[in-house]
Amino acid sequence: MIATPESFTHDVHSDAASGGYTVYSLPTAAPGKRVTGRDLPRADATAKVTGRAVYNTDIVRPGMLHAKVLRSPHAHARLVSIDASAARALDGVTAVLTRNETVGLACYGTMVKDQPVVATDAVRYVGDIVAAVAAVDESTALAALDLIEVEYEILPAVFDVEQALDPSSPTIHPVEPRGGLPPYRNGASASLRSGHNVSYEFRYSTGSPDVWDECDHIFEDTFRFSRMNHMHLEPFVTVAEATDDEIEVWTATQSPFNLRQELGHVFNLPENRIRVHVALLGGAFGAKNGPKADPVAIRLSQLSGGRPVRFCMSTEEGFLTVSQHAAKLTVKAGVKADGTFVARTSTVLLDSGAYAEHSPAVAEKAGYRMPGAYRWQHIDTVCKAVTTNTVPAGAMRGFGATQTTWAGERQVDLIAQRLGMDPYELRLKNLKKLGEEFVPGDAGIDSDLAEGMRLVADAIGYHTRDRGGNRGMGVCVGLKDSGGGNKPAMARVKVTANGDVFLNCALTEMGQGGHSAMSQIVADVLHTSRDRVVYTRIDTDHTPFDQGTNASSGVVVMGQAVRNAAENLRRQVLEWAGEQFALDPATAVLDDWTVRTPAGEVYPLFERIMEYFGHTGFEFSADGYYKVRNDADAPLAARCVFYEIGWAAAEVEVDPETGKVTVLQLAVSGDAGKVINKIGCRGQDEGAAVLGLAQALFEEMRYENGELLNAEALLYRVPLAEDIPERFVSITQEQGHGAGPFGAKGMGEGGMLPIAPAIAQAVADAVGAQLTELPMTPERVFRALSIGGVSSLLPLSHA
Amino acid sequence: MTEYPDRDPDRSTAADGELDTCIEFALNGVKQIVRVDANAILLDVLRNNHGCKGVRASCERGVCGACTVLVDDLPVASCSTFAFSVDGASVETVEGLAAPDGTLSPQQRAFSECGGFQCGFCTSGMLMLTTGLLRQDPQPDRGTIREWISSNTCRCTGYEMILESVERAAELAGETNGESA
Repeated sequence: MIATPESFTHDVHSDAASGGYTVYSLPTAAPGKRVTGRDLPRADATAKVTGRAVYNTDIVRPGMLHAKVLRSPHAHARLVSIDASAARALDGVTAVLTRNETVGLACYGTMVKDQPVVATDAVRYVGDIVAAVAAVDESTALAALDLIEVEYEILPAVFDVEQALDPSSPTIHPVEPRGGLPPYRNGASASLRSGHNVSYEFRYSTGSPDVWDECDHIFEDTFRFSRMNHMHLEPFVTVAEATDDEIEVWTATQSPFNLRQELGHVFNLPENRIRVHVALLGGAFGAKNGPKADPVAIRLSQLSGGRPVRFCMSTEEGFLTVSQHAAKLTVKAGVKADGTFVARTSTVLLDSGAYAEHSPAVAEKAGYRMPGAYRWQHIDTVCKAVTTNTVPAGAMRGFGATQTTWAGERQVDLIAQRLGMDPYELRLKNLKKLGEEFVPGDAGIDSDLAEGMRLVADAIGYHTRDRGGNRGMGVCVGLKDSGGGNKPAMARVKVTANGDVFLNCALTEMGQGGHSAMSQIVADVLHTSRDRVVYTRIDTDHTPFDQGTNASSGVVVMGQAVRNAAENLRRQVLEWAGEQFALDPATAVLDDWTVRTPAGEVYPLFERIMEYFGHTGFEFSADGYYKVRNDADAPLAARCVFYEIGWAAAEVEVDPETGKVTVLQLAVSGDAGKVINKIGCRGQDEGAAVLGLAQALFEEMRYENGELLNAEALLYRVPLAEDIPERFVSITQEQGHGAGPFGAKGMGEGGMLPIAPAIAQAVADAVGAQLTELPMTPERVFRALSIGGVSSLLPLSHA
Repeated sequence: MTEYPDRDPDRSTAADGELDTCIEFALNGVKQIVRVDANAILLDVLRNNHGCKGVRASCERGVCGACTVLVDDLPVASCSTFAFSVDGASVETVEGLAAPDGTLSPQQRAFSECGGFQCGFCTSGMLMLTTGLLRQDPQPDRGTIREWISSNTCRCTGYEMILESVERAAELAGETNGESA
């Protein structure tokens, strides 16, 4: 690894007494032999650079058939009739799936189950699956689709959240779907179907509304957040082998056990008749939560006599499957004349598309995360997941928080301008301190927020900048509670007589480096090299339970389960050694598969194990479990495991004649708590920052009258190497307060949160245009310049 | 470029009513003679007929570059290349980068060392792009690297670590050449 001055690790020495945190020390490894925290290449490096890595797209089963689906050309239509007889008669076709073949199957979705395997009564968006075909090859399946005749009765459609809420607009789901609510408490609550076309509504309130009377100013602003596509390079793909009694899938999923549960529900089968295998994922960013290609592949396999069916979507189909949530956010803030924040209320309308998908969870987070990084005496937020006739929206990197950080941080900048204050100073004045509760009943903030702001600001020279030349700077902080609160994780570690280690857990590797990090944790606890640890293949029949790989919680929640498993194993080995060698297991040390005593005795384990077990071999095996405790005071039922914080600072140059924004410098920082793998941490923050950069400036799914205009790789512009700012700095902090192994925290979403607001503030700083809508295209920037941006704003102090 | 002057024109025939053609090309240095459909795509032929699973299929529109291979030293998107068009050419895939004993090439070592990947789905294409670039320009400057790498998409890394990987690959390749010289 080349050390560049632009990439460094900053160790912040915070006062542990103020927050009452413990920085975990490494259990056995001497500093010289530590595996965690080093600049080690990722464990999957060799497989990936030689092309030998196996992704879910590479799975081939004997006699495998191929599936293709027919998608609706209409945004909303009643299905009058489907004639698939000609398709069924085509040579090479083994099965055709229409609504007639879905009798007895249930709908799926997180908390609100409203999405059928194929459309039954109506289609609800352009791209909704109407029918599917399995055939001996893809071209035959495609030819068969052309022979399916569908008669539609076009229904009025609705494409905008505000229209959708209007009771005169069409009801997109006339029949109320099955749904459930989590056990919220202490100010948090939710309801299903709280209004016209609202699938889920989350509310959070704390503190007295009387404090509005103490406010010198009350500001209300509205912001719009655009919709991105995940565009992970590996498409949605599933190979299914299924009968009416048994299902086996090889699939691209982040959450194999959740998928197993959902498939059990859809296909009405016990979970022990369903087996999910997961290979490496070629990116996911949240998209691979919940069923995607699975239900169609499974049903087609059942209809094809149990032969394996592969359904691999194209990139274009990925655009028609799931997206991020667009949002309209109205935020009202009450502040004192000196800039002290007092009260904040908000209404967030999430465009959840035609099916609920992951929207309830996103709504929960967008409602709960609205306070952001600041101290408010009173908070009252509501977030509605609004159904529209567009592509379903689901989980995407930082969900809920990307939307609320855009609006919340943008409003801080607008308030600063109205009060004639420096936005940086206004933030510092109101930031929560290390250890201060996020909201009453929840965990304390586990990073020094002001320190991170100072780091990124210094990295771009924020305080020493020259004004003028259409250049400007912005600094921003985004905060999200981690998603691991209600998440149990289990892991198993096995060691052969030889000292070869198997790590068996269901954390999926989608690029974040999770397998590497988990292997490093095990290696450190067992005091061995990471290369001796193999991360076993994920298979729900044999892998211990895990709730899913999401919300950056892997390294903390699964990390603790893995650490516990490794520690249990180490204890077991030392106890066995204690009996065998008559030594004290409490003082003995495991080191490179030998046991050492404080007196300097050395017992190599292999020979002794073989001798004891009659030269037939043995495996030690231990399990680990982790779940943060439930808490009656915590609004989301358990206190937040860790807070993921992203800091960013940007310098831009704006061309006032065209509105084009050029990012000259971008500094991003996350707090790893304690670094497990440096390369992994850096990659997580930089990758997230570039997604944020794209969201800020150009990346967007464009709808016009319900028609998705750019749903393909040729038209949908994702960032390229040439889009990276001239100076791009990432700073991995190690503040040491994390709840994960050795003090680690999750990474990977935080870096996305602050980018767009930091760039927006830099634009305002440069030319006085205050943007409230994403992406900040030249056209929008130009328009904001010509009309002077948000009305009722004082001119910027320096302008 | 590999020439096949003794190529038998009769090998291109229409069999069973299907238009197909017989092509010869060098795959990672080994001569191959295969019959392919006239409209067969190089990506499919490499993955399905030759087991080159390291060539990744993603956008299949010639945009993302995950399927990049070298044809006569130049990077091409194999998803947008007809198989017949490589007749007589040299085709290189990620499988051909490491030495037969498994020793990684400078490019592979650099990407591994510098973390030039996360999910790794773009990596085969990025490595072939890098290999093609270093053949054209063994010591490219940062601007040239950015320009070349901009023809492929990586959704995970934010590119900075890929750019560093390419710089490091040039360094390592230089050292290797220096040693062998």
